[in-house]
Amino acid sequence: MNKRTATRQGRPLWMFLPGGLLTLVVIAVPLALALYISLLDLDQYSIREWVGAEFIAFDNYVEAVRDSHLVHAIGISIAYSALVTIGCLPLGLAAAIATQDRFKGRGLVRSVLLVPYVLPAFVVGSTWRIILQPDGIANRIFGTEGLWLNGPRSFWALVIVQLWAGWPLVYLLAAAGLQSVDATVHEAAALDGAGPWAKLRYVVLPQLRGPVSLGLLISFLHNVNSFTLPFVLFGVPSPYDVEVLPVLTYVESFQNFEFGLSVAMAVVSLILVAIPLAVYLRAVRLDTGRGPK
Amino acid sequence: MRSRSEEVARLLPTPARVATLSVLLLIVLGPLAYMAIASVSSDLAVARGALWPDGFHIDNYARIWRTTELARGLVNSVLIAGAVAVVSAFVALLSAYVLVRYAFRGRIAVLRALLALQSIPGTLLLLPVFVLFASAATALGVTIIGTRWAVLITYLTFALPFSTWVMVTYLRELPPELDEAARVDGASPWRVLTRVIAPLSWPGLVVSGVFAFLLGWNDVLFASVLTNPDTRTAAVELQIFGASQEGGALPVYGQLMAAALVCAVPVVALYLVFQRYLVAGLTTGGVR
Repeated sequence: MNKRTATRQGRPLWMFLPGGLLTLVVIAVPLALALYISLLDLDQYSIREWVGAEFIAFDNYVEAVRDSHLVHAIGISIAYSALVTIGCLPLGLAAAIATQDRFKGRGLVRSVLLVPYVLPAFVVGSTWRIILQPDGIANRIFGTEGLWLNGPRSFWALVIVQLWAGWPLVYLLAAAGLQSVDATVHEAAALDGAGPWAKLRYVVLPQLRGPVSLGLLISFLHNVNSFTLPFVLFGVPSPYDVEVLPVLTYVESFQNFEFGLSVAMAVVSLILVAIPLAVYLRAVRLDTGRGPK
Repeated sequence: MRSRSEEVARLLPTPARVATLSVLLLIVLGPLAYMAIASVSSDLAVARGALWPDGFHIDNYARIWRTTELARGLVNSVLIAGAVAVVSAFVALLSAYVLVRYAFRGRIAVLRALLALQSIPGTLLLLPVFVLFASAATALGVTIIGTRWAVLITYLTFALPFSTWVMVTYLRELPPELDEAARVDGASPWRVLTRVIAPLSWPGLVVSGVFAFLLGWNDVLFASVLTNPDTRTAAVELQIFGASQEGGALPVYGQLMAAALVCAVPVVALYLVFQRYLVAGLTTGGVR
């Protein structure tokens, strides 16, 4: 944005009104309300008169850390999100590199590779719930036995399904990055007699660092906040090994009716996304809308 | 014949490409193919994990409408997500126009907020929104929770940050001379926006509208709490259908897969139709 195009004359600031009003009522006020509720002793008995509920300062937070599954849930959330994010890297890069050269049917392949990302999470969850059931097709094909949707293996089920649904985002950003690799770079690599592997390793991949790290960051944020997939895949109450933070928060509110405690947990999850979010906001150049180069 | 520059730009030898793509397509298409096969298999065959269908049970697609309230759910989803798409694209255009064409204090803060707001966990806002709607309903003497309005307003607001961001990146590409000329002729900002900018920015409007539609179509979290059996969306209907299959005699898995496929079709169709624009939107906007 330069000085020439942006003007201060006759600014129609009223055009912010609809969007601003909605954001205020449905996001800003509830956010403030959440911080307040997290300090109240609010359960199913006090919810009707929630304004008059007892103020208990940070007791909910203390209880969340000491007597609930919060710490365990944070661990699960971070561990599985990190694993999924790491897994996205080879898949996304491989797909971007393999679809870069022109070949017959490339358009179709590109469209198909994105389908898992496009499918609604509730459809992905319902489908894999059937694939992974004890007598289901997964156990049949891989010769495995037993439970995937319960017990220790459920953690890996969550990683696999979330990875299946999420990796195309990294592919998409890596592919966009590849498009912007300059033609002269390829010329230079060819002149130096670099083989395909050396060219990938030393010339192409370093250029993708920006868009790919952006993709990984977004993927991590998405996974930490993801509610629908674990909720639909495992149901509630969720198995101990996949008790991720969003599902735990939901169950605490709408099954156990411990509203104050639940909101305190959710506030903690806000802190959890704040760190990667800060990195993300620094990386995106706001005035051009382009990711880091 | 490949051109020389194409030859130079080649990244992978053909065998390596074929091998890589075969593996990736197998990973992607395997579950998708099973979904299609299972949707025309008998419930028993799916429950036993049979690889091939025991006959072609296309009637699964006829029976789901009686087994579940999916039809009502789909109508609700279309109404809600459709309204969200249209209104949010328009509201986003209004905000984005001011953000791109006018200078004012706090502009950068608003742009940053557009990105930050997309990362607020929905689970944090769910209960406060519920409490707020319930209190407002009591104060005003109307019903909010359980109506389509409750989720509509919620989705509309959650769609705005991304929709606005998409419109901002789009309007930036329009030459400012266009509206400057109209302004010199004495047109008001509203006239410039509706007569000059809006007709030129329909690809941007489509992208932000489609993303808003998907947000409404895909949500389970808010719909599971803010709707009642009559206003339930297809997403909640399918989730309940799936969750109710355990513990019973014979789970109707074939039908469940057919229902899941029906819920996926509109989304995949939208994606295929608008693919080019949507991919551009995803890479500029970032967060889904």
